[in-house]
This record gives sequence, C-alpha cells and structure tokens, in this order.
Amino acid sequence: MKKLSNGLTVVVSEDHSAPTFGICVSYGIGFRLEPEGRTGFAHLFEHLMFEGTPNAPKGVLDRVIEGGGGTNNGDTRYDYTEYIETAPISALDPVLWIEADRMKTLDFSTKNLDNQRSVVEEEVRVNVINQPFGLFFAIDLPGKAYNTYPNAHNFYGDFNDLDAAKIEDVKAFYEKYYTPGNAVIAIVGDVNPDDIYSKVEKYFATIPPRPTPPKPKAEEPVQKTERRSSESDKLSKVPGLAIGYRMPPRHSSDALAGAVVGELLHNGQASRLYQALVKGKQVALSVDGGVNWPLGTPFEFAGPTLMTSFIVYPPNVSEDQVLGAYDAALKDLAENGPSQQDLDRIVTKMRSDIYGNLEIPINRASALSHAVLFDDSFDSVYQLPEELSKVTVAQVKAFAAKYLVSTNRTIINRVPAPAGEKEKGAGQ
Amino acid sequence: MKTLAMVCALLFVAAQSWAQKEVQLPKDLPSYGPERPLSAPSVKIAKLDNGLTVWLVSEPGFPKVSFSFAVRGGLAADPSDRPGLSQLLGNTIDQGTKTLNAEQIAQQLQAAGGDLSANPGKDSILLSISVLSARQNDALTVLSDLTRNAIFPDAEVILAKRNAADQLRQQESQPSFVAGRAMAKILFGDHPYHVTSATQGSISASTPDDLRKIYAERFRPDQALLVAVGDFESDKMLDAVKSRFGEWKSPSTSPVSDPGAPSVTPQHAIYVIPRPGSVQTTLELGAFGPLRNAEDYEAARVATAIYGGTFGSRLVRNIREDKGYTYSPFAVMRNYQAAGMLISQADVRNAVTAPSLNEILYELNRMVTTSPTTDELDTAKRFLVGIEAIQLQARSAVSDELARLWVSGLQPDAIGTYGRKVAAITSQDVDTAAKKYFPAAKTAIVAVGEEKVVRDALAPFGLPLNTAP
Repeated sequence: MKKLSNGLTVVVSEDHSAPTFGICVSYGIGFRLEPEGRTGFAHLFEHLMFEGTPNAPKGVLDRVIEGGGGTNNGDTRYDYTEYIETAPISALDPVLWIEADRMKTLDFSTKNLDNQRSVVEEEVRVNVINQPFGLFFAIDLPGKAYNTYPNAHNFYGDFNDLDAAKIEDVKAFYEKYYTPGNAVIAIVGDVNPDDIYSKVEKYFATIPPRPTPPKPKAEEPVQKTERRSSESDKLSKVPGLAIGYRMPPRHSSDALAGAVVGELLHNGQASRLYQALVKGKQVALSVDGGVNWPLGTPFEFAGPTLMTSFIVYPPNVSEDQVLGAYDAALKDLAENGPSQQDLDRIVTKMRSDIYGNLEIPINRASALSHAVLFDDSFDSVYQLPEELSKVTVAQVKAFAAKYLVSTNRTIINRVPAPAGEKEKGAGQ
Repeated sequence: MKTLAMVCALLFVAAQSWAQKEVQLPKDLPSYGPERPLSAPSVKIAKLDNGLTVWLVSEPGFPKVSFSFAVRGGLAADPSDRPGLSQLLGNTIDQGTKTLNAEQIAQQLQAAGGDLSANPGKDSILLSISVLSARQNDALTVLSDLTRNAIFPDAEVILAKRNAADQLRQQESQPSFVAGRAMAKILFGDHPYHVTSATQGSISASTPDDLRKIYAERFRPDQALLVAVGDFESDKMLDAVKSRFGEWKSPSTSPVSDPGAPSVTPQHAIYVIPRPGSVQTTLELGAFGPLRNAEDYEAARVATAIYGGTFGSRLVRNIREDKGYTYSPFAVMRNYQAAGMLISQADVRNAVTAPSLNEILYELNRMVTTSPTTDELDTAKRFLVGIEAIQLQARSAVSDELARLWVSGLQPDAIGTYGRKVAAITSQDVDTAAKKYFPAAKTAIVAVGEEKVVRDALAPFGLPLNTAP
C-alpha cells in the first residue's frame, strides 16, 4: 500500500493464476452524503462518471475497456461509490489512464445529464416501480428504521429530486467528493507491485490535491419502541415481511458476533430461520437477509446499518403467524445460544464464502479498497477468517439477547393490493 | 393522436448520429500491452468402469474445491403431462436420502462450507457445490449420496409442491418471466423445448413417485459427468470419486432420448401479454440461432456482441446512451443441445414503447445490411476472448462451464478452441451469420405491459397483433 503526494492511496495484491487483473477505485461518497432535495444524486452522479471527459469523450471508456477484453461497472452504496473493471493484463495501462482521466475532470454536459437522468429513471422503474416488492426491504425499511436524513432517505431518488438535478450540482459534487485524497485504488491480478506503483505514479500523480471532504454526520437517536407499518403492493401476488434490527458500529466489540448471528439466522437451508419458518412451521416460502443486507457484506459499512430479514410467505398465512415463528427462533438463539457444533459450521461456511469472494480479482480489489477507505488498512480483509474463528457461543448468545429485541426493530408488512385497486396503477 | 403521429414519423427515421459515430481514441491514451496467452484449464479425463465420466482440474492456490455433477435429461425429457417436473426434482433432490434427512444434508454441506445449487436445464440437471478444500471429501460423500440415494420423502414433496405453487404465482408477476415463457411457446410450438417452467396443473398433479421414477431413469453413471476443480491432487481425487461412485450401476432401461431439432418457423408478429398497472413495456424479440457446435457459432457470437452484447454495442448506444429509453437493453444467444436462440430484450417506459421497438428492429436489420467497421469487429472479438478468461477466474465457473460443454456434446478443449475460433472471425463471417440469423422479419416479438398502451403503440407497425400463447 502506498500514498501519492496528492493523497491517493494505492493497494496491490498479486495473483498470477490467470493473465488478468481486477481494479476498483472507491471514493468516500455514498448515499449518506447526498444533499437534501437531491435524493438519488450519488447514484445519478455515478452514471455520469461513464459519460466522458474533455480528453476522452462519451463512448471512449466502453470502447477502451471492452476492446481490451474486459468489462466495467459502478456501484453506489451508503458509504462509498466504486468503479470496477476487470480485463486481460494487456489492457492495464489504458484502463489506468481512463481512471486517472476521470479523476481529473468530466465532460459536464447537460445533454449527458439529461440522457442519464432518463436511464436512471428507467433503472428505478425496472427495479422498483415495476417490480413486485419494489425493494421495500432495502429502501422503505431504513426509511422507517431511522430518523435522520442521511440514513433514512430513498437512495434511488424521488423523481422530483432527480428531475431537479442541474449540471451545477454535478460540478459541485465532483469538486467536493471526487478528489484523489478521497479515493482508494486497488489492483489485484497478474501484476508486480513495484510496476503498479510506478504506473499509478505516472498516470495519477499529476492530479492536483483538493481539500478532503467531511465524513457524513450519521448519528441516530436511540430507538426506544418497535416500529410497525404496512404497505400495499400492486404487482406482488404474495405478501412479504421485512424486519430490521439496528446493529452496533462495525468497530464495536459486538460486531463480529453480530455478523455470525446474521449468518446463523439467514445463510442457506441449514440456517435457523429457513429451518424454523420454511420447514418447521411451514409459514414462509423463502427467507433472505443478514447484517448490512442486501447492499453489502456484514463487514463493509461506516455508519448505522440493520440486520434485515426479508420473508416471503403464503397468502393463506397471517403476519402474526410468521412473526410468531420468527420470534420463537430468535428467542431460542438468545436463551440457549448455538451449540459449539452449530457455531463451527456457520463459521466454516462464512470462511468458505469469504475465500470464494476473494478468489475473484475484481471482488478482492473491491474488498481491499473499501477496507482502506474506511480504516486506512486492509489487514481486516485477510484477518477476517481467523477473527471469525474466535467468536464464542457465549458472545453469540449475548448478542442475540442484547440486540434482537422488539424495541430495537422495525417491521413492514407488504401485502398484495386488492384486485380492484391494482387497475388504478394503469397509465402512470 | 400526437403519440401516433410521432410513432409514424419515427418508424422510418434512422438512428441519430452519435450512436453510429466511430469512437475516436484520445491521442495520449496508451496502447494495449503485449498479449499474454490465456491458458485453458488442463483437464484430466477419466471414465469409471460403470461409465461415469470424470473431468478433473487441479488448481492449487485458494483453499476451495468446486464440484459440478450433470445428468442428461432435463425439462425436455419430462413426461408431457408433467411439464416442469425436473424443477420439482431440483427442489427436492436434497430433501432426504436413505440415511440422511433434509436438515442433516443441509448441515453437512454447510459444515463443508457450501450450498448445493440444483439447476434443471432443458437437456440436463446440474448439481453444483463449492466447499473448503479441507472438507472436499465430506462434500463428495454427500454429493454421491444425493445422486445415488435420494428418496423424495412424501412430506417434503408435499411442502415443496405447495411452495412451488406460490412461487410460480409470484414469478408470473415478473414481466421477464412471462415474456420468456411465451417466447419459448412461440418459437418451439409442440417441441419439448417449449417448456420453461412447471404449471399450476403439473405442480398439483406431481407425486413423489413421479419424481422417484425420473430420478431412477436419469441418475445413472453412464449418462452422468462429475467435474471437480480446485486445490487437490488429481490421483487422490480420482480415488475419492471411485470409492464413492465406483459401485454405482446403470439400469438396463434406455437412456433419455435426444429431443431432435425444432421444426417451427415463428411468425413475425407481436404477441401481447397484458400486465395491468405496468409502468414499462418489456419487449423481447426472439429468433433461432446456431447450435453450440455449429460452424458459424463463433461468428454469431461476434455478431451478437456487436449488435447488443456490450455497453459499446449498437443497440445499447442507440436506445440507452443516445435516447435514454431504457436502463438495461441486451442481446444474448442461448444454446440448448438441439437448438439455439437469439434474444433481444429491453424494459422501456410506456411512452416510448413504439420508438423502442422501432430501434430494435432497425438495429437487427442494420446487422444484416451494414458490415461491422474494423473497430467494431476488433472490439467484439477482443471482448469475447478476454471475457471468457475473466468468467473462468472462479473455480465454480470453470466447473459449471465444463459441465455445460459436456451436455452440449463437446470436450474440455472447447474452452481453448473457442478463443482461437473467435480470433479468426472475419467481417465476411459476421455478415454471413447476420444475414442468416438477424433479419428482423425472423423474429417473434413479445410485449408485456399495460394492454391498451402496448396495442395502441404497436398497431402502426402493421404486424399481426396476437394474444400471447
């Protein structure tokens, strides 16, 4: 790991199993920092990072990366926005050039803004408005679980806010947050670290430093009572329940036990909730969830997050029946804890999942860059499998008893709209 | 009226200039470095005395091993009065064996660090699992138990049927699901490939004995492949496989028969699927494509990449990057043992339903009428070669890809030869493939959306407006 004089941090990890590489450039800007009245802006902005610069107009980026045999993408999350590419090693220099180029400036074009505003609105339609359940467990649940704007607002964006975004907003956002000191670049693959450091120096060192932006103010007032609400769904044929418990900060001594609890409850068919709800009581069709689910791993967040459970259940089962079975499963964990065998099994599964993720260069680059962005160190990425092995039965039990209580949770029950009501959605 | 007038005007207007402009590369952009050859996985091929095919790839490094197990016979082999039975088999194959119940199976797999995924395809059923290499033998033991000794307990099948019925209702609320289901019926008619999913009727009629019967018919060593990829020594792995699968015997019954080529010529028509309240129209265009082992398979892949397979492709530049009609337009080739398909898809807001279809038809025909530029051709070829190496970075991906090749009747070296064939494709090869597969008149068009919106928008195209099957 190295830091350039302009503040840009570089991490390299060698993997010579294939002549390919993965790169991730993470910026310390996410949903929590988008201005009020501009919900969805961090993600809209992410789209504009693909729309060209004065040096490399729109179209060049895709041409260079795809023509190099690779792919590119971007992701916006609560605490970072990342730009990822993976390609055969022969494309390394042009890809680094492209990343450096868009860290210098952008083509601040109203035409491109209008175009991507349309694309993003279609993205919201296809993933939210036109989709059964409409991601309510990811968008509406934090909205009810939190009190402050940074954590509670709709990160995909209200259409009024998206429509109001101006090119001046784009410029100001770029100036403030897309600075070298607010970025971490991680490169994994068939590379030599010294060679990478000199290449990064060559392409990025001329970018002038700018003031480092502030971190988000993401504190939340303590939750004192259970929050419950219901929603109606015009598209879904079956009901769904989303339950979110507020989690401790990632650096608290409880956090690792929390991650294990999340997986014990949700990971696969052997999980407690699958066994209790889908198999035992037969009151659910599927159970998904975990800590910081579905927008990240239990180890990558830098502000308030939830342990979310998303349960799809049959129409002839009641919300109370589902919650009754759910509460019984959580109570059992809090009162009796897991057996040592249960704990060993889930830790093995988590370690296997972590290795499966790190095996792929672009995913390892992503994990390394987030760790450095949050903690200025990537040690946690490699220490995690070992750290998980140290979690004890007593810690898991204590965590469940302390955090998985009704006063710490928010519940949304989303049910299919009655047939007549569905027709009203026509022609929106 | 305004909408209709706009549609008519758009029907005959070519795509705007930006989307067709050649990309000019910046002067100071560094050029690509020297190519390093992408080595195909080195596969040790073995066949047990009972006929089980075994492909092993020893890849030390990460402490993980991936297994893929395939048997011939999938949805196309299901009894005609039990469409989609293979899906129910996929959902219940891990719900009990002669010695383990469902929870024990799930726990043993988790203790090895894996989850089983069971994927019934048209021609095969594929079981996959990735585990920690230290637990590879435990996982292999469970896998052999599932493939040899599954019993489909009555209670588990009853529960799986009930959940499958509700899940099917939920799937039917997703436009891509209903579009794909209709497209298969349109393209394949009565051919067994027309089945994409179970029906409420078949779910309700299926019994544990139905599952036991097709399991006994299809899960047999002489019609099966086991792939292992990861951190092991091949000789030791082969011994481990022999000790768990070696005593397995094939039945004397004849194996699943080849479904044969479909003989339908789809009508160039629009098939409407009403979806009340929909704020987008899902457009899916489908035509037949080449078989996986056809001479022009690679040329068609290159053509598909140029047309709609990348961010920089003609279709994406046109209807996303130029016009902003849609977020995720794409084109893809799908291959089954006896058929290939070329699919285009886009979800577009209601107001641009007509111009979106117009542009998709236009870009299909432009593939037929306008040869790729040198830059388009080179970009597409480099993309396809590079992306194959990228996709095979994970052991689980190598394992599943090898299994898919086997199902298609190919050998492991197809991974290496594919790249070489793609690199040799010429502009003329692309033109020939495009003329054969891309004419818009060869497509069937499925439109899922608000019925009045769709019918009003698409009537001016002058194509038959059918109700989807």
